[in-house]
Amino acid sequence: MTMLPSQFSHLEHLAQYWSLATETERNAKRMASSMEEIHAFADTLLPHLETIFSYLDEFDLSAMPEDALRLLYLTLSLAEVAPAIESYNQPAVIDGMDSRRYQAQEEFVLQPRP
Amino acid sequence: MERNKKESPAQPEWNKRWSESYPDLGTEPLSIEPYISDEYFEDEKEHVFSNVWIHVGRVEEIPAPGDFFVRDLDVPNVSVLIVRGKDGVLRGFHNVCAHRCNKLVNKPHGNNAGRFSCKFHGWTYSLDGRLIGLPDREQFHGIVDSEYGLTPISMDIWEGFIFINASPEPKETLQEFMGKIGEGLVGYPFGEMECCFAWRAEVNCNWKLAIDGFQEAYHVAFTHNLSVSDKLSSAGNRLNHPLAVVLDKYHRKLSLGANRSTVYGNPLAAIGADQSTVVKAKKPIEEAAFRFGSASLKNMAEKFKLDSLPAGMNPANADNWLFDINAMFPEFYLSMRPNYYHAYNFRPVSANKTIFEARSYFPKATKASGRFYQEYMKCVLRDVVLEDWGMAEQVQRGLSTRAKTHMVLQEHEICVRHLNKVTDRYIQSNRGSLNQTKENA
Repeated sequence: MTMLPSQFSHLEHLAQYWSLATETERNAKRMASSMEEIHAFADTLLPHLETIFSYLDEFDLSAMPEDALRLLYLTLSLAEVAPAIESYNQPAVIDGMDSRRYQAQEEFVLQPRP
Repeated sequence: MERNKKESPAQPEWNKRWSESYPDLGTEPLSIEPYISDEYFEDEKEHVFSNVWIHVGRVEEIPAPGDFFVRDLDVPNVSVLIVRGKDGVLRGFHNVCAHRCNKLVNKPHGNNAGRFSCKFHGWTYSLDGRLIGLPDREQFHGIVDSEYGLTPISMDIWEGFIFINASPEPKETLQEFMGKIGEGLVGYPFGEMECCFAWRAEVNCNWKLAIDGFQEAYHVAFTHNLSVSDKLSSAGNRLNHPLAVVLDKYHRKLSLGANRSTVYGNPLAAIGADQSTVVKAKKPIEEAAFRFGSASLKNMAEKFKLDSLPAGMNPANADNWLFDINAMFPEFYLSMRPNYYHAYNFRPVSANKTIFEARSYFPKATKASGRFYQEYMKCVLRDVVLEDWGMAEQVQRGLSTRAKTHMVLQEHEICVRHLNKVTDRYIQSNRGSLNQTKENA
């Protein structure tokens, strides 16, 4: 089964691991990954952001087709791993509270979807 | 609201001595007892938290008739039901059934079509708290329905924030309680920040210690050396001395500047306005977030202008201003930029345990690229907060050993001193009036 819009088939191999709908899942994936895996993901995705957002910005955020949503979730995972790459050089915050104790309230009514 | 333009913007004095403006606060070291003592915590419960206004949510959470949310607080010990009636009016009740005091509503939020029914024996209440259903009524001994409605709790609204007060007769109105600092924030577009990310964490530290880490910037260069310190400090102000400190009867404001040549440190960068001064970030994901965010959120530049902020924001009228921290007594906290804000509560549980409830409010993104920018900002800021909590729990551990009897504060940690003094004064004053009442009786 393909997850992403057909013109992004070259990113399919990332989608099955990094296309995750919630912050809780994305953060858990970041914490469970090695820095090699995180870098491999970010390095592959970054050069395509221009094309990705040209495509995604044609849709209204509140009415995206499923395959476009999964592409958006990939970019949200990139935002999730940004501090690991650009601040800490390790998955977790250095000397920080364990992020599993800091629970995103995914059911909160004002939380944007997606 | 149009900001009062000053003739020439006052440039901040990095080494201003705030203690000279507030001599009654003193400069002596602070006792650590209020941070670790169970007895002091009991005093705070009895004298402070039973009498003050406490933030529980925003009006946008319950827009339609029948919408409700429940907040369970440890201190004060209340379960609160906030509901919008069929008449559109918000009401607050103790979430307790009048029959045998079961907790009436268990869901954290939802919409009830006109009624709340108790799961225990089916007693049923209307949205405005009247008893409207009583199974097996004839077996009770002379029940008068009007006497067995839900008990209202003191509730009021300030700028869309819903507050409750555990006292049936609050000493001050919410308006009076918010004081000058609250007044200075009126007109901020709180209601237009409809997109909110929320978190909850149990933190092993005292509630005042929890706030302390968010009301001084001395720690930024050290605790946040890997994350945001380079965006907040600038040449000549490496240790983040504040632009202004405003201390009121209860509340306090800390105004902070930033390095405007960084994307994070320039409040206009993210709304597509004034990109001229922004240097491209060396970090590729950060750079991408701002590039796509700026393009996507451009339509917000009209809405969120620096010169139309409420008069109480950026009190020093500084050119390099980034945000204000408004720490509202006892434990509500508003950190405000022009284009987003954080609303935190540091809810006490015990002398060494606090529930942190964080909410970050942004304008609603309509495009994927804007959403990506917000996710980036959210994750960076969330991780900064994790750095703060790692530190706070270590400090509580250190305090608990009683190796030291006092903590020493420098000039720019004056807000820490202010919170301690205000808490102490509030306890003394309330104890005084209780004793007075007893003597009179």
